[in-house]
Amino acid sequence: MKKECIAMLLAGGQGSRLYVLTGDMAKPAVPFGGKYRIIDFPLSNCTNSGIDTVGVLTQYRPLELNSYIGSGQPWDLDGSTGGVHILPPYQGSKGGTWYKGTANAIYQNIGFIDLYDPEYVVILSGDHIYKMDYSKMVKRHEEANAACTISVMEVPWDEASRFGIMSVDGDDMITEFAEKPKEPKSNLASMGIYVFSWQALRKYLTEDEANPDSENDFGKNVIPAMLNNGERMAAYRFDGYWKDVGTLVSLWDANMDMLSPESGLDLTDESWPIYARSVNAPPTFLGRNAKVTHSAFNRGSDIDGVVENSVLSPNVVVSEGARVSYSVLLPGTVVEPGAVVEYAILGEGCRIGRDCRVGGTPEATAPAPWGLTVLAPGCVLEDGKRVAPGIMLNRNGEEVSK
Amino acid sequence: MNGMHGIIFSYEKRNDLRELGEIRSSASIPFGGRYRAVDFALSNLVNAGVTDVGVVLHGRYQSMLDHLGTGKVWDLSRKRGGLRMLPPFNYQENWGVMPFRGKIEALAGVRTYLDEIRQDYVALMDGDLVVNLPMTDIYESHVKSGADITVVCGNDSFATDNGTYFEMNREGRVTDVLYNLHTPRGYRGLEVYILSKKLLCEIVDECTAKDQFSWRKALQMRKDTLYLRSYIWGGFAAQIRSVQEYYDRSMQLLDPAIRAELFTPERPIRAKGADKPSTYIGPNGVCLNSLVADGCRIEGTVENSILFPGVVVEAGAAVRNCVLFKEVIVRRDAEMAHIIADKDVEVLEGRTLMGHSSYPIVLEKGSVV
Repeated sequence: MKKECIAMLLAGGQGSRLYVLTGDMAKPAVPFGGKYRIIDFPLSNCTNSGIDTVGVLTQYRPLELNSYIGSGQPWDLDGSTGGVHILPPYQGSKGGTWYKGTANAIYQNIGFIDLYDPEYVVILSGDHIYKMDYSKMVKRHEEANAACTISVMEVPWDEASRFGIMSVDGDDMITEFAEKPKEPKSNLASMGIYVFSWQALRKYLTEDEANPDSENDFGKNVIPAMLNNGERMAAYRFDGYWKDVGTLVSLWDANMDMLSPESGLDLTDESWPIYARSVNAPPTFLGRNAKVTHSAFNRGSDIDGVVENSVLSPNVVVSEGARVSYSVLLPGTVVEPGAVVEYAILGEGCRIGRDCRVGGTPEATAPAPWGLTVLAPGCVLEDGKRVAPGIMLNRNGEEVSK
Repeated sequence: MNGMHGIIFSYEKRNDLRELGEIRSSASIPFGGRYRAVDFALSNLVNAGVTDVGVVLHGRYQSMLDHLGTGKVWDLSRKRGGLRMLPPFNYQENWGVMPFRGKIEALAGVRTYLDEIRQDYVALMDGDLVVNLPMTDIYESHVKSGADITVVCGNDSFATDNGTYFEMNREGRVTDVLYNLHTPRGYRGLEVYILSKKLLCEIVDECTAKDQFSWRKALQMRKDTLYLRSYIWGGFAAQIRSVQEYYDRSMQLLDPAIRAELFTPERPIRAKGADKPSTYIGPNGVCLNSLVADGCRIEGTVENSILFPGVVVEAGAAVRNCVLFKEVIVRRDAEMAHIIADKDVEVLEGRTLMGHSSYPIVLEKGSVV
């Protein structure tokens, strides 16, 4: 059946810079903000933008992600026409390959997209925290009569060399694209969100696939090829909150941003809800000794200690006499009496024994090098253990390097 | 176990819920921070493997229809069976116009549905009962005992509005069925019964023929001819029939032992989720000894209270010993104690509202104080 616009969500990456947090799951499945998974943001944006057909391209450790997405019902993406579809690599009669790059992943699913014969295809990443109305971007694409529209945002000039940078003309049409330029000519950075006219994209994907030298990547190959061929490429300016949470520090930052709506990340706005598959648990109980300030928590938790500037996922326990500061606790973590957790990310199901000390403040650590302390899901610390700032432990409690 | 069918009664009854009961049946009253009373009966049944449940409705059931939806939350949206809404559809004379006078009348109102039940046994439950019963165990002991009807009782004579009480002998056989007692005695009936479909239909037909509408009267008359066996449940069991009982039972949830029992992970209570973000407590917020649902924002002080999703307590405000339903807003410097505030209530800046534990004040849905 014909669809005006469908979305393809790239969710196959390992997210290697999240290290132990993505040991067992793909990056888009990583919990965020006490309630969500990263993928809730693009999925909710789709449904709020009126896109009812989404292909999710998975490759690395898809189990957690697949079971989380399920039928797509939490995002209203379980309609009888369209809905959310998990698209792993597959074998054909002539064999098959893993997804070699972002463009190849879409190329391998041309058949899926053709089922819907769309005018436009929106390409999304599964590792960004943001709220965006894709329908406005598609409108911009239509009005500019473009083959490709790339969403861009202004970044500080001194950071511009970390991004794909666009130069634009007076109509915001893209004139030049440079991937991580040493001397950026502009501070408009690509957010990795694209709208393509499907017929144009189909042609370029096929050509790209035929080129043995190509890395089959949108940013490195397909976009430059289109630009070189003189295709109309429009920029779509976005000025809301957007964060790539591909690193431990940026993931931690985004969680902290959620605590302060001034950051621009306001999840309480009911006109643009972010949906999630919620766990079933009773409301959280705060005991007589609880002291929770500038923090967020979700259902099923039991808090009787001190929690400050932290984000707690469901089913967390912070016992009497324990303190959690500037930390992100993923579902089911337990902090026993007397333990102190500072500037840390604790993976799902971690248990911090009595009187442990995990992480520390930058001030107390100076002049020694400081960093976030990260514990892999399932890590258990025996009573009294100390884990210095900047250390990362795997599931067995062994130190691993970042 | 697929041998048991569930019927939940959620029709309007005489009660003392004041403003809380004006817009809803007692089965759809919010309870425990994120539940409706009926979630407990539904979850009890589903946790015992029950796949088919009928909910008998009559009067003010809009809120119940909204809440139950297709039954998906309880895995009761099924190709065969699943959740069925049962407003009175067997009209005789003026049936369906007046409120039901009793369970028999309610069942007679859906008599054709009873014929379609696929299972051999039926569990009858009241929608206003907040409990976490091991229904598998109760069902199995019913079948094993050879009883005609199993009657589930609380292990107390707690006075509940319009309660039914049972006396029994040492073997657990019911010897008397009592109600309208001035001073309750015996064991408090939880209005949970298991019996065969066949016997249920016989009792309903026989009573209907004689214009008898009361289930407990029917039991009273048959206590010698049928084997009525009791099952005593020693845990928490609240029947939400008056504001006072609602308030007292809500406050009991602040006791960890009671929560552990009611919310045992072995038999989870399922409820519709609200699409709300996490709850946020501000830099000067204080929240002690309280049960707090998702999506709240607390900048003031909250103590000994139960907060449903989306409650806002602004800076300087103090909420003590209160139950605040969904989306209640307590503005700056307002102070309130022993208040039950229904959905969407707004308490304006600087207002003071004090009830007492022996007389909690109810604020009607949507009211602005």
